[in-house]
Amino acid sequence: MEFLELLKTDRPVLLDGGMGTMLQARGLPVGATPELVALEHPDWLREIHTAYLDAGSQIIYANTFGANREKLERTGRSVEEIVSAAVAVAKEAAAGRGLVALDIGPCGQLLEPTGMLGFEDAVDLFAQVVRAGVQAGADLIAIETMTDLQEARAALLAAKENSNLPVLVTMTYEASGRTFLGCSPAAAALTLEGLGADAVGVNCSLGPREMPPLVEELLKWTNLPIVLKPNAGLPHPDGSGYDITPLEFAQSLAALADLGVKVFGGCCGTTPEYIALLSKELAGKTVKAVPRHVPAAVCSATQAVPIDRVRVIGERINPTGKKLMKEALKRGDVDYMLGQALAQTEAGADILDVNVGLPEIDEADMMVRTVKALQGVTDAPLQVDSTDPKVLERALRVYCGKAIVNSVNGESASLETILPLVKKYGAAVVGLTLDENGIPKTAQARVDIAKRILERAQELGIRKEDVYIDCLTLTVSAEQAAASQTLEALHRVKTELGLKTVLGVSNISFGLPARPLVNQNFLTMAMSAGLDLPIINPNVDAMMAAVRCFHLLTNVDTDAREFIAAYANASVSTSITAGNSPAAAPQSTGRSLKDLVIAGLKGEAGQATRTLLETTAPMDIVDNVLIPALDQVGADFEQNKVFLPQLIQSAGAAQAAFEVIREKLSTGEGGNVSRGNVVLATVKGDIHDIGKNIVKVLLENYGYTVIDLGRDVDPAAVVEAARKYEAPLVGLSALMTTTLKSMAQTIAQLHDAGLPCKIMVGGAVLTPEYAKEISADFYARDAKESVDIAKQVVG
Amino acid sequence: MISALSPLDLDEVLRYMGCPADQAPPETRAVVEQCAREMEAAARPRWIGRVLDITLEEDGVRLEGGLLLPGQDLRKHLEGCERAAVFCATLSAQADALIRRWESRDMLHALALDCCATAGVEQVCDQVEQEIESQFPGCSFPFRFSPGYGDLPLNIQGELLHLLDAPRKIGLCASTSHILTPRKSVTAILGIARGKIQQTVRSCLSCPARESCQYRKSGGHCGIS
Repeated sequence: MEFLELLKTDRPVLLDGGMGTMLQARGLPVGATPELVALEHPDWLREIHTAYLDAGSQIIYANTFGANREKLERTGRSVEEIVSAAVAVAKEAAAGRGLVALDIGPCGQLLEPTGMLGFEDAVDLFAQVVRAGVQAGADLIAIETMTDLQEARAALLAAKENSNLPVLVTMTYEASGRTFLGCSPAAAALTLEGLGADAVGVNCSLGPREMPPLVEELLKWTNLPIVLKPNAGLPHPDGSGYDITPLEFAQSLAALADLGVKVFGGCCGTTPEYIALLSKELAGKTVKAVPRHVPAAVCSATQAVPIDRVRVIGERINPTGKKLMKEALKRGDVDYMLGQALAQTEAGADILDVNVGLPEIDEADMMVRTVKALQGVTDAPLQVDSTDPKVLERALRVYCGKAIVNSVNGESASLETILPLVKKYGAAVVGLTLDENGIPKTAQARVDIAKRILERAQELGIRKEDVYIDCLTLTVSAEQAAASQTLEALHRVKTELGLKTVLGVSNISFGLPARPLVNQNFLTMAMSAGLDLPIINPNVDAMMAAVRCFHLLTNVDTDAREFIAAYANASVSTSITAGNSPAAAPQSTGRSLKDLVIAGLKGEAGQATRTLLETTAPMDIVDNVLIPALDQVGADFEQNKVFLPQLIQSAGAAQAAFEVIREKLSTGEGGNVSRGNVVLATVKGDIHDIGKNIVKVLLENYGYTVIDLGRDVDPAAVVEAARKYEAPLVGLSALMTTTLKSMAQTIAQLHDAGLPCKIMVGGAVLTPEYAKEISADFYARDAKESVDIAKQVVG
Repeated sequence: MISALSPLDLDEVLRYMGCPADQAPPETRAVVEQCAREMEAAARPRWIGRVLDITLEEDGVRLEGGLLLPGQDLRKHLEGCERAAVFCATLSAQADALIRRWESRDMLHALALDCCATAGVEQVCDQVEQEIESQFPGCSFPFRFSPGYGDLPLNIQGELLHLLDAPRKIGLCASTSHILTPRKSVTAILGIARGKIQQTVRSCLSCPARESCQYRKSGGHCGIS
């Protein structure tokens, strides 16, 4: 029987048990590469596979767990020869008695951001294994022992893009219920089902007794069959075996068929004896059909967010009407977006909208960089927002979790291009109630479009729960009657179609005074009408207050816990201008801005700058206050009167002052605080970038515009940036002796390109002598010295 | 069993941050203390090790199973040892993530967290060492030695991790440029000698990292002595 047919029956499906254990028993030396056995001792594999089939296994895993080019590199053998030999011997053993799975384990390198392997490189690596497995005639693909959801995604995507085989995916959890990298079963289930896995579950990790909580969690978040392939119990601390007997293993695992587990097997420490007992225990059992109610939900790798109450989508990562963000996008400054993200989640956003569309930039490239950076620092799920389907697809590929796509609409062109992407990558989608004829005036016409979007989505296999309808806010100052139509449409979509609803709120008040007041009240009305996902600025407390009050008054916020936590210590202003967080701005302390920067007092420095700007020109503050203050701290640092922490602290205070000045300049005409461009990068192969980041902060606070290329930067990217931004100075850092050679290569390429820039280098293992040897112009001993160099070169 | 970090030594963290502990202003110390608590809560320390017979050869140290650790410095360092414990330890991806989270918004906080993690991984290694040493009563142990010390090359990282099955067992990998990921991780070799030996204490004089040491470069020391 085919794998998918086996899944359709009400009977449990039996996999095999451990392979490593069995190979070691036959004499495989510890530290050897087990995949080579397919070539060196195929007879061992034949015996092991046969023993499992005799024990009752319906599916055996070919010995291809680590058969990828990364892990085989040290052996000199190719992926194709190992995979074809391993699958061939498994098929020979199976001989019609069972199915053969191509086994795919982790590749042996960590993916970004913890590691350095790029996502597409990982997809490519697994694609080679998948193609070899298809060629060799595998019946299905088993992706297992994954601890990084992103790596599991890469393998699953490779399987879907390079084969038609069914795929089961299992991950490895710790006793905490999370993987090594912090992935939860909920996030794994939502993401992997979305990407098209046929069964999901758990392998390795723990013993069968530790499985029930993981199973219960999985059942909550997926409709797919559940797979369990645990170890032979928990290992004894002295490594002498496992804490339960084969019979206990079989009994406690088989009992889980009653919870609804469908596919069973064993991992480390299990042998044909375990599988034979398990087979016996499972004989005659049917898998209990447990009704499941998987909620509408999105997730990151670490956090699932069910749409079971009002969930706030933060709207701030969007350049529309934001000059500072536009500038940040133009110089590729991802940090700006990270700051916006963290501020919004702290204010209470559950999900973050990400829009980086700007005509002058490569939007797809910037979107990928931003999504990657954001998922490295926030647990909040993302909503990818673009009008360009190519940008959306690039974002969905790298997004590790289940995203929301913003958006599709009722136009057939939109439905035909966007919905297939939503389906392929397993996202949720915002459906706008407009079409070729624009935004309909009436609620009825909007509901009709919503219906059309839903029908088309369901035809493609997108779940109803994953379609969120936006009934569109129109500016009330232009069309006063429109607001009630929006609310009526929203209510009907919610109640008649049973869909989740989403709405951008802030547009309502455009052109009116007291906008926060209008926004807040419209938000409250919309939530009463059934709004699930308001897209708002969560940094405006009036908006978050409306959401918190709604949860309080609708009995969602049990015992008012969240409301009290948010407001017990705050004095809420009721004036209509109240628009900021309850945390009051720091009071002026009467100290001069220069003193405040020297003392490193951030909040006060920002406030003092605001006051000073009333009487002093922005550039005068920079030249006569901030720079002299930083110079003094720098001089004290050189004389060991203050140390690195205070230097950074002062830079932080100066940064706060600069931000106020930039805001001022961005609203007025003329004036530019930048003293010139400096390109910074941590060289190819190196990810230790904290030194470079300290240099960045210092340089920025002396008024230089830093183009920060990040870490592990290709020499060509440094050359390109130096040319594009006409930077007179390029700074390179490396921490490891092994990466100094990429520093030398980067310098050589900068020189070959004939660019007029000077190059400064720094890093723990560098010496002035070595800097000279690799033709750097300057060696910066510490962050302070890099500023001195910038002054000398850039001015 | 090491499942969490013990309270970190704040003076050590300050030293790693480039600030003599006795001259740290109270505000800086307060930041360090807050960061230490955050790192202690976030890190998920894990380690794995094996004790192997060793043979001192002309080109380096041969481990049981065949792996050669090349170079003269480790060979000299392990003179008198018949066995060695090879181990690796990591603070986990969560430690890296915590540092990353602060890097875009507050560099002082990020630096303090980074240095807390450095102190944390040292602490874990010290505990691992104690655990291993307690299994070999009466033996002596030259201080632990890591790739990158002296002439023991960093490109041995991948092989050491493979030997320990570290990617699978504790989620510790090496990049193609031989950087350990997660970043706050260590691989080490701890010699085990039945008799008495010389180099049991770490000091700058016997430290093979002395030539490129950043603390020595700025006229200080790392505090381990």
